[in-house]
Amino acid sequence: MNPIALRFGFWVLAPPLLIAAIGFGLQGLAAANSALFFTWGFFLEVLLAGLLQGVLYALVALGFVLIFKASGIFNFAQGSMVLFAALTLVGFIGMGLHWTLAFIVTAGVMVLLAMVVEKVVLRPLVNQPHIILFMATIGIFYFLDGFGQMLWGSDVKMLDIGITKETTFILEGVFEGGILVNGFDLVAALVGAVLVAVLAVFFQYTRVGRALRAVADDHQAALSVGIPLKTIWVIVWSVAGIVALVAGIMWGSKAGVQFSLALIALKALPVLILGGFTSIPGAIVGGLIIGAGEQVAEVFLGPLVGGAIQEWFAYMLALIFLLFRPQGLFGERIIERI
Amino acid sequence: MLYREAGQFKTSYGADQAIFPIRQDRIALVLFAGIAVLAVPVLASNYFLETIFVPFLVFALAALGLNILTGYCGQLSLGTGGFMACGAFFSYKLAVGIPELHIVLVFLLAGLGTAAVGVLFGLPSLRIKGFYLAVATLAAQFFLVWVFNKFPWWTNYSPSGVISAPPRDVLPGLAVTGAGGAPAVKYLFLLVFVAVLALVAKNLVRSRIGRTWMATRDMDIAAEIIGIRPLWAKLSAFAVSSFYIGIAGALWAFVYTGSVEALAFQIDRSFQVLFMVIIGGLGSILGSFLGAAFIVLLPILLSNVPSLLGLQISVEIISHLEFMVFGALIVFFLVVEPHGLARLWQIAKEKLRLWPFPY
Amino acid sequence: MTYGAKHIGEPILKVDNITLAFGGVKALSDISFAIREHEILAIIGPNGAGKTSMLNVINGFYHPQQGRIEFRGVERRTMRPHVAARQGIARTFQNVALFKGMSTLDNIMTGRVLKMKSNLFQQAIYWGANRREEIAHRQTVEKIIDFLEIQAIRRTPVGRLPYGLQKRVELARALAMEPDLLLLDEPMAGMNVEEKEDMCRFILDVNDEFGTTIALIEHDMGVVMDISDRVVVLDYGRKLADGPPDEVRANQQVIEAYLGVSH
Repeated sequence: MNPIALRFGFWVLAPPLLIAAIGFGLQGLAAANSALFFTWGFFLEVLLAGLLQGVLYALVALGFVLIFKASGIFNFAQGSMVLFAALTLVGFIGMGLHWTLAFIVTAGVMVLLAMVVEKVVLRPLVNQPHIILFMATIGIFYFLDGFGQMLWGSDVKMLDIGITKETTFILEGVFEGGILVNGFDLVAALVGAVLVAVLAVFFQYTRVGRALRAVADDHQAALSVGIPLKTIWVIVWSVAGIVALVAGIMWGSKAGVQFSLALIALKALPVLILGGFTSIPGAIVGGLIIGAGEQVAEVFLGPLVGGAIQEWFAYMLALIFLLFRPQGLFGERIIERI
Repeated sequence: MLYREAGQFKTSYGADQAIFPIRQDRIALVLFAGIAVLAVPVLASNYFLETIFVPFLVFALAALGLNILTGYCGQLSLGTGGFMACGAFFSYKLAVGIPELHIVLVFLLAGLGTAAVGVLFGLPSLRIKGFYLAVATLAAQFFLVWVFNKFPWWTNYSPSGVISAPPRDVLPGLAVTGAGGAPAVKYLFLLVFVAVLALVAKNLVRSRIGRTWMATRDMDIAAEIIGIRPLWAKLSAFAVSSFYIGIAGALWAFVYTGSVEALAFQIDRSFQVLFMVIIGGLGSILGSFLGAAFIVLLPILLSNVPSLLGLQISVEIISHLEFMVFGALIVFFLVVEPHGLARLWQIAKEKLRLWPFPY
Repeated sequence: MTYGAKHIGEPILKVDNITLAFGGVKALSDISFAIREHEILAIIGPNGAGKTSMLNVINGFYHPQQGRIEFRGVERRTMRPHVAARQGIARTFQNVALFKGMSTLDNIMTGRVLKMKSNLFQQAIYWGANRREEIAHRQTVEKIIDFLEIQAIRRTPVGRLPYGLQKRVELARALAMEPDLLLLDEPMAGMNVEEKEDMCRFILDVNDEFGTTIALIEHDMGVVMDISDRVVVLDYGRKLADGPPDEVRANQQVIEAYLGVSH
């Protein structure tokens, strides 16, 4: 049989089967233990909420992947870029700008930030080991956190750009009581899909995109054929900044703009481990798995151990996953040469 | 002129392999030890002992532990806070459960327990490297803090989730933990304890095991080909590192703060210790101390300097400023001197060796 | 024992029908040869012939899909590199693989890791058993330093050394393991004539004084013909020839592989 068709078939069939298996497993557990509760309708509702939460993780993870692909840098500061962008946007809206205008101005600020980062951090550290650059981005993480809150204050701010938050029930005929769906989550999923499509086109079909892929492959080789490394880096960090802004808007509208955003963004790290550091589809799939996994685990397994397993579930899942497939679901296998 | 080693010949490899091969260094060390033991407890006020010297020593030990793992063995960890929590809660359960146990033994046993946990979370390092590992250690961070926060058994069902260190004497009549401990006694106890552990660390890094760590850090494939088992090298680094960090956590809870909750060991703590290691110098014992001193002093400076200059700045702004300064400093050090303060110190010493005739 | 009168003994390493593939690409196909005790064996061949892959198979870095390797009468199919090291196989690399953050002395001392026996507790105390051991091994290492004439760079971090010296330090580290079999991957690549002469002398001396069996990869034919006792020629993962230098030089297939052939 055609291997591509086989692979496609696998990806179509595996998720529903996996979900069904987990569902039956949980049902069995719930039957055995009175602390647990399970109905299929509730399970699907939690699963759906988790998947949509996963879209938001994926949005943050996308920014990581972009920078990693183009510069091999694991940008720990992506989370604080999300917070910073959201704070800036709210700040401008607070000054009386319409949100579309504020979006454009904030995007400009993120481009500016990219330029500063390139000049102050990336350029002096070029050719340093990746681990040094990683630690430098932890520095950026701290700086941005402090800077953003210094500029705009640290109180929780509301961000409302008119996304619906109405909830509806679907599939009422199939399950008792139906499945509760939040309109906002659907909008978030839509935004995520559009963003991924735009990025895919950008990477695949534009000149800049091609240069980006060349840089990702080999800095020096790219330089030697005349690709301006500095410009590429500024572009990538700008795009990552704008992705962070979009992620910030979605998170901010959902949970308010506050310091904890930067920490929520840490959840993007296990997402990356699952999806592979260099793969945009990986970021999406990883985000969905983490989002759904932790939500389902919290609701259906949490009562066993007293709850709040959401705090670490994603990391543990990634950790266990790493042991079996270190390169992630979609990552390239690393072959070491000596 | 004073700092000259000309004329000091070594006649044995033993003398050449000493920690301080230069006589002037040994004299300086004795002087420094004299000041630390005799002058500091007499001259420094209780406030200074409790807010600067005691936390400095505790943090130095934690930084030392992380430096063994990250600086010497090259395995980046963001789980320091979680391991410190292990040390704190293990020693609490031990001290309360077996009151006869001497407090130093409690700390050492808590360290051993943490080492076991460290090995467990170090297992992924056999398959993954660099920032992959960093993410894996985040699992330790979040999971461990959750465990200590969630299960009241660890706090002996204290309703607030806070543990208070029971009073214990290090020598009869000299309390180091609990409310009865005098700051000067605490300081001297920590000084001796941390100095001994630092000496042990120095001995380890200049022996076979230290060389296997550094070889693994610099080039793991080549290390394997000369016979170093990567499993053993990495896990032993995790074990020794966690041992130190666990003891630091125990000292934090028992000697420094006296009472603590799991949330004191959140991810900020991990970053704080990582910053000490980066600023102090990766792969340097001395650097761990310098970095700890720097990070302990900086916030105190930041909160006092503006008022000295007559500026009125709110506490909130100062905490944001602290974040910014830390972040900027990290980038600054990585750009200007990736080997940190320890390297600057070394350069200064080399200059001094030649001074005043630099050629 | 003077050079030229050395005794070449029985095979110490036998490679039988080794096949190694990466995905669909065959790096080595069905290769068999033996390395005899105390000899210097040169493995030559054009770029991409599979020479380095062959060394990687011998010291356990690559695991061949087929074939077997027998070292000192013990057969194995797969093993990790550190096990090979334990059995007495040392190795240098085409691109120097030193520990860049450590000094020359520490690099060579690291080569003694397997010979050191003191336990963790003794190392933590340092005084006593561990100190005696450190000093004893330091003496051995100093002998190697004298032998390879690198006394002056003892304390220098190896990252700062020029390429030729780095190669020499790497050889020193391999020698510190006191190996039975020493694999050298292009020990003279990128060296000038003088450095090459030095390196040749060291290789011959090692073989001569310690009786170490040596397998080396080299491109410089002059060097190969001068110092080796036997030559194995690889081309596109296959073995073309195996024999004394003069015989190999006269082999028609080898000439074709190196010079090309007119059709």
